[in-house]
Amino acid sequence: MLHAHGVTKRYGAIRALDGFTLDVAAGEITGLVGHNGAGKSTFAEILTGLVEPDAGTVLIGGRTPGAARGDVGVAPQQIALYPAATAREHLRLFGGLAGLRRRDLAAASDEVIDDLRLGDFLDRRTGLLSGGQQRRVQAAIALLHRPGLLVMDEPTAGADPETRQSLLAVLRRRAADGCAVLYTTHYLPELAELGATIAVARQGRVIARGTGPELPGSLT
Amino acid sequence: MIGSMRRIAALARHNTLLRVRDPGPFLSYLLMPMLLMAVLKPLYLRAVPGGTSQVATGMLVMFSVLALHIVGAATLSERGWHTWERLRVTRATVTELLLGKSIPVYAVLLLQQVTLTGYGIAVIGVRPAGAWWLLAVAIGVWGATLLAIGAALAAVVRSHGELHAICDIGALAVTTLGGALVPVALLPSWLQQVAPLSPGYWALTMLQAAIRGDVHRTLTAAGLLLTVGAVAGVVACRRLSRGWGRATLL
Ligand SMILES: Nc1ncnc2c1ncn2[C@@H]1O[C@H](COP(=O)(O)OP(=O)(O)OP(=O)(O)O)[C@@H](O)[C@H]1O
Ligand SMILES: [Mg+2]
Repeated sequence: MLHAHGVTKRYGAIRALDGFTLDVAAGEITGLVGHNGAGKSTFAEILTGLVEPDAGTVLIGGRTPGAARGDVGVAPQQIALYPAATAREHLRLFGGLAGLRRRDLAAASDEVIDDLRLGDFLDRRTGLLSGGQQRRVQAAIALLHRPGLLVMDEPTAGADPETRQSLLAVLRRRAADGCAVLYTTHYLPELAELGATIAVARQGRVIARGTGPELPGSLT
Repeated sequence: MIGSMRRIAALARHNTLLRVRDPGPFLSYLLMPMLLMAVLKPLYLRAVPGGTSQVATGMLVMFSVLALHIVGAATLSERGWHTWERLRVTRATVTELLLGKSIPVYAVLLLQQVTLTGYGIAVIGVRPAGAWWLLAVAIGVWGATLLAIGAALAAVVRSHGELHAICDIGALAVTTLGGALVPVALLPSWLQQVAPLSPGYWALTMLQAAIRGDVHRTLTAAGLLLTVGAVAGVVACRRLSRGWGRATLL
């Protein structure tokens, strides 16, 4: 589903990505780990088509990120919500932009509302929500239209254990349905729970790839 | 095509909601000129020929330029919230995003100008001698010009403070120079020379010509303003389609 080879991105003297290579198959969850500044979010931004790589190949289901936009679900690391709009209004907007019609939108919304337990604060303005609640709304937007590739950039940062569990459970279900998931985190036990393969990024490239037990402890 | 219309509609509805949740600026840019028209009318009647038309169109132009702030803030906020980047990763194209955002804002500008024109006629006593369509053209064109200029401003400024300053000072400068406060004919002669450089001058010319029923002058001014608007629109579209990535507002 996702094929990236030799991706390079520089910001002035900083090499955010330096020959980044990673493949994620449909139905596979890949945990992308690595120190702060390793290039994880930059790679995520390239997948969404927001950032153009300087060199390298990126294909999502055989298409360029720009062409595949509708088939990628993104939960960015940064909160990107309208403070004056409610969670429900966000779902309506982003569902509409993804091409969901009224009935499909209602069904899809109900599903993510249920999965991520948004019910308690669905009609409150997101600007008033707690950090973890805002993260859940972001994750819901990413999941809403059932994309073929999910890019979740630290989606559990600041989430409580219960929220974490419910998010991990949805992602496992989505993967079982054939969705490819790229999941960045600094919290390794999550990856074991997800049954994810792990990619370790360092200084803009993937230096190790495998399942948790396969990788030397010094890397993870 | 249908998909595209739906996305534009989804955006327009969402942006309407955002405008409705923040009505303060709009109401002040509506009520303040009404008050000023009523207060200043006696003064203008004594001071200049055509004082009624002058006070009504002058205040309309001044406060419609101030409303640039609404246009600018609508776009600038999306930069601050990072939602512009969020929208850019959806299926919607930049054109759809811009249309979906612009329609409600344009409606706000039209609503302001139509209300102020109606008030000018009903309460202040402006008597349009020309056809209604001429007034409609003038208002439609001026709204579109402001929309494009506001979007361009929002695309290039670096903070809300900058936008505020430019809109406030800019509105006063553009409209004073354009003859909204004092008719151009009464301005010092060196100011009269540069007055046509101000879009406010052409807006005022266009509106007053539309009220008089001068088709030729209305349309000439409209053409000029549309050109300015088109240039600003291109600047706005180009900058907005590149986005800002991680860069936030100051
Ligand atoms: N738009 C940008 N302009 C300048 N530098 C950037 C930009 N985007 C990323 N960088 C730089 O690229 C490097 C990689 O950043 P990135 O956000 O990808 O790291 P990360 O692995 O996601 O880190 P974290 O774990 O802290 O989220 C950093 O040094 C960062 O400062
Ligand atoms: Mg990151």
